[in-house]
Amino acid sequence: MRNPLSAVEIPVVDRFLGDGYVRNVVVMTFGSLALLALFGALFPESVAGDLSGAVFTGGMVAATARISAPIVLAALGGIFAEKSGVINIGLEGLLIISAFTSIYVAYVLGDAGILTGGNAQFVGFFAGVLASVLLAFVFGVVCIEYKADQIIAGLAVWLIALGLAPFLSTVFFGSVNTPGVGNIGWQYSAALVAVGTVVAWWTLDHTAFGTHLKAAGENPRALDTVGVSVSKIRHAGVILSGVFAGAGGSLLALGVGRFGGSGETMVQGKGFIAIVVYLFGNYNPLGALGAGTLFASLDALQTRLQQLGYGIPSSLVETIPYVVVIIVLAFVGRTRIPSAAGDHYETEE
Amino acid sequence: MASDFDRRRFIQAAGITGIAGLAGCTGGPEGSSDDGSSDDGSSDDGSSDDGSSDDGSDGSGSSDDGYNVGMVYALGGLGDESFNDAAQRGIIDAAEDFDVSYDESQPADAGEFSQFQRLYAESTDPDYDLVASIGFAQLDALTETAPDFPEQNFLLVDDQLDEPNVASYQFSEEEGSFLTGALAALLTQQSFSAGAGETNTDASRIGFVGGVDAPLIRKFQAGYEAGAAYVSEDVEVSTSYVGDFTDPSGGQEAALSMIGSDVDIIYHAAGGSGVGVFQAAQDEGRFAIGVDSDQSLTEDDFDDVILASMVKRVDRAVYESVENVVNGEFEGGSQVLLGLEEEGVSCVYGNAIGDDIPQEVKDEVDSVRDEIIAGNIDVPTDPDDV
Repeated sequence: MRNPLSAVEIPVVDRFLGDGYVRNVVVMTFGSLALLALFGALFPESVAGDLSGAVFTGGMVAATARISAPIVLAALGGIFAEKSGVINIGLEGLLIISAFTSIYVAYVLGDAGILTGGNAQFVGFFAGVLASVLLAFVFGVVCIEYKADQIIAGLAVWLIALGLAPFLSTVFFGSVNTPGVGNIGWQYSAALVAVGTVVAWWTLDHTAFGTHLKAAGENPRALDTVGVSVSKIRHAGVILSGVFAGAGGSLLALGVGRFGGSGETMVQGKGFIAIVVYLFGNYNPLGALGAGTLFASLDALQTRLQQLGYGIPSSLVETIPYVVVIIVLAFVGRTRIPSAAGDHYETEE
Repeated sequence: MASDFDRRRFIQAAGITGIAGLAGCTGGPEGSSDDGSSDDGSSDDGSSDDGSSDDGSDGSGSSDDGYNVGMVYALGGLGDESFNDAAQRGIIDAAEDFDVSYDESQPADAGEFSQFQRLYAESTDPDYDLVASIGFAQLDALTETAPDFPEQNFLLVDDQLDEPNVASYQFSEEEGSFLTGALAALLTQQSFSAGAGETNTDASRIGFVGGVDAPLIRKFQAGYEAGAAYVSEDVEVSTSYVGDFTDPSGGQEAALSMIGSDVDIIYHAAGGSGVGVFQAAQDEGRFAIGVDSDQSLTEDDFDDVILASMVKRVDRAVYESVENVVNGEFEGGSQVLLGLEEEGVSCVYGNAIGDDIPQEVKDEVDSVRDEIIAGNIDVPTDPDDV
């Protein structure tokens, strides 16, 4: 089906978004927002008026930034891993381990009186990233050096983190939930999402490393032929996925200032949503940003919709973000997986 | 390449074994080996054998090494500073007063309720005298489990099950919530500031954040809304459900969005998600009302914004049923409802800022309480009836 939106020309955006598919996502998002604003302004007493009242508030931006940070950053990490040919479905695990580590380190530093408040959170943030990188590195070694099945190893990463973080929390704090360390503002989330997206986009599309990374996922033999080590590039891709997902997990936990470890932990499947988000964005960092922001804003919106009190069961309202993402995916979904993703590469010397 | 293939097979097999092991771990460490040892000092002291000398005469009657209680906590886990921790206080107190040891398990999802209930019920070493199922979500699992073990005593907190070996304890959450609703509605209409918070004088809006949209949590909502409506027609109540008891960031988002629309006092019944509500109130300089435990004590980082807590004496339900078991008075099939009159629920003012609440407000809340106990106020249990 030819998408009608692809005929619309937008002068500035087109230059940045070469990918027609990503453009559609962006155009649809902003188009719906503009329509809503228009109807809201015309009929302030109607449902549209209520809706635009809920959408166009300052808190909405902050909420979207906080909710989107772990999702978009993990999705960016997932793009790096999968573009290099390693499917990393362990993003959820990376989020969990970094969320716990960031709080643990911030708490220990604060408790020992070494660092306080913002400084402890700052160090905690990087500790979370480091923990995520370590776990990603182990995943990379298992997948690349020992040629383990990437899906099984990815699941292992998730399950290891899902078991380890609450367990360590129980050992250190006596319960699966940690004490609080104070939270950071949404501006950090917004800034890191923006910077992360631009860095990822620049690295993938405008550097030699980005080209090598994509070659490792599309045609590793060609990359090998020109003398670049496929394994090294893939390791780099997996470690980068650890860096991005770690930043996302740390932001998630520090955004509320504690780690909750019961059930699915406070991460609540955001790593799996991140996978959907980068597939939705067709492996383009800007697409992942658009899709992640769409999901996050819908999630922020559903909380506000519940408060409008239309008498719709709140359990139904809670599903809105998921339903909309599935619908949009069905209409505009077109994803091309890197052709060598999931395959092991054996260099022949 | 044959050897290489073998190596892959080996790694896959090792990986699967590792996963299975770890998956076991997620439930294991809290579940089977832990004796409350890592929780805090007092539980260690309590569950050790010190108790036997005090209550030797009680204990020696039927069992050679005291009584054993298996605790199956609700989702949200220990450390929620709320519901589960209240239940844990009950068993810690009971362990101090009687010759009782206990084992704790924290199910990670609803599927594990039945698993842990059966684990304790089937166990012969030790033989558990009581299996305490904490939380309404365990009803379905217990409905299956209880008839399979007719000799085993079960306790169900927060719901009722008509089985001859199950004692059910329920609370009139709506009555306690009615008082917090009245308190919030009285305060939001005044210019009031205490601790880190102040009321918003532009609007009279208060909020309620629930964990999961379930009948039990709707009782809190119904009481809160009815209490607010009772003291004033002009107060609006915003409601939002997080969808989970273990999602502090979700609780924070819900509370922040309410505060953004001029809500100044938020009551939560969201278990572990509730700390997000406190965090939001503190960040924005508004107030929150805690639930289940006196959260100005259990969450003392936030005592400068916690006006009050709707305390639910889950600990009393646990303590009482353990006491009944020890005294041989355990009545299977009994259904106990603890309300304001029985002091099973109450509105407890915050430790740090409770004293700043004007006396006339407290007097009015007290008179509402007396009216409810006297039966002059009909408190709804469903928000649709408010």
